[in-house]
Amino acid sequence: MGVIGYGLGVIGAGLAIGLAAYGVAQAMARQPEVQDRVFTVFIMGAAFAEALALIGFVVALVVR
Amino acid sequence: MEAFDRLPDEINHLVSEFSSIPVFGTLMAGLTQYTFWLVVSSIVLLIVVFAYVRRLSLVPHGIFSNVMETAINFISNDMCQQIIGPTWKKHFPFLASVFFFILVNNLIGVIPGMKPGSGTISTTAALALVAFIYFIAVGIKQHGAIGYAKSLAPKGVSFPLNVLIWLIELISLLLRPITLAVRLFCNMFAGHIVMGSFALMVTLFAEPLLQEVTASNILGALPAVAFAGILLVIYAIEIFVACVQAYVFAVLVAVYIQGAEAEGH
Repeated sequence: MGVIGYGLGVIGAGLAIGLAAYGVAQAMARQPEVQDRVFTVFIMGAAFAEALALIGFVVALVVR
Repeated sequence: MEAFDRLPDEINHLVSEFSSIPVFGTLMAGLTQYTFWLVVSSIVLLIVVFAYVRRLSLVPHGIFSNVMETAINFISNDMCQQIIGPTWKKHFPFLASVFFFILVNNLIGVIPGMKPGSGTISTTAALALVAFIYFIAVGIKQHGAIGYAKSLAPKGVSFPLNVLIWLIELISLLLRPITLAVRLFCNMFAGHIVMGSFALMVTLFAEPLLQEVTASNILGALPAVAFAGILLVIYAIEIFVACVQAYVFAVLVAVYIQGAEAEGH
C-alpha cells in the first residue's frame, strides 16, 4: 500500500518539476542573458517540489 | 532472480539502521551516531574557518582562500543583499553560520561510512527552531510585540476579512519551522536510503561471482555493473543536493527575516 501511495504522491511533484523546467526552458530561449538568475530560481523551485515527493517517500518507508 | 527476493529484507535492515542508535550512553543521555558526526562536522567547520581567518588578506592567494572567498561573497551578495536589502549586514553572521553548518553536515554525510548530522529530524528541528526564534525576535525588535502581531495581516482590508487573513497568516507562520525541518531531514534521509538501496543491489548481484567464478555467475553479475553506474550518478546528485539544501534553508530563513522586517506585507 505504501508503494502505491508513494506512486500517487509523486505525480504531483513530477508535474511540478516538469512545469518548472518548461518555464525555465522557455525563458532561456526567449532571453538567453537571464540564464544565471533563472537557473537559480529553477533550482529553488525544483528543490521545493522535490521535497514534497521525498516527504512521501520517507512517510512510506517509516510509517507502516 | 533470487537477488530480488532478498531485497525487501535487506532494505528493511537498511532502514532500521537509519534510526538513532546510541554509540555510548543511552538514547536520552548519550551520543547517537548522528550526534557523533554532528560534533565531528562542527570541529571540521571550526578548523576550516580558523584556517581561513589565519590566511585572511586583501588579495586572496591559493585555491582554499579563493573558494572560501567565493562562498562568502555568494552568501553576502545573492542571499543577504538581494533578499534582505539595506539591513543585510546585521543578519549576515547568522545566515552564514546556518549555511556553512548545514553544508558541512550534509557533505560529511555523503562520505561513505559517515552519517550526516542533519540526517535525523531532531537536528533539523533544532536548527529550524533557532531560525524561527531568530526571525520572530527580529520582527518584535522592529515593530514591537503588538506591532509585529498586527503586521502579519496586510493593511487596508475591511474588518471581518482582516481577522480571517490574520489567522491564515498565523498558521502559515507556525508551519514554517515544521516545513524547514522536514524538508532538510527528508532530503538527507531519502537520498541516503536511495544510495543504500543501489549499493545493496550491486552487492546482491555480485555476490555469487565472488564465491565462485562460472560463466552463469559472470552473466548474472552484469546488472551489478549497471547498478554501480547508477549509484555513481546518484552519488554525484547527492553532493549537489547537499549544497542545494543548505542554500535553500538559508535563503528561506533570509526571506522570512525580510518578511519580519518589512512594514506589513
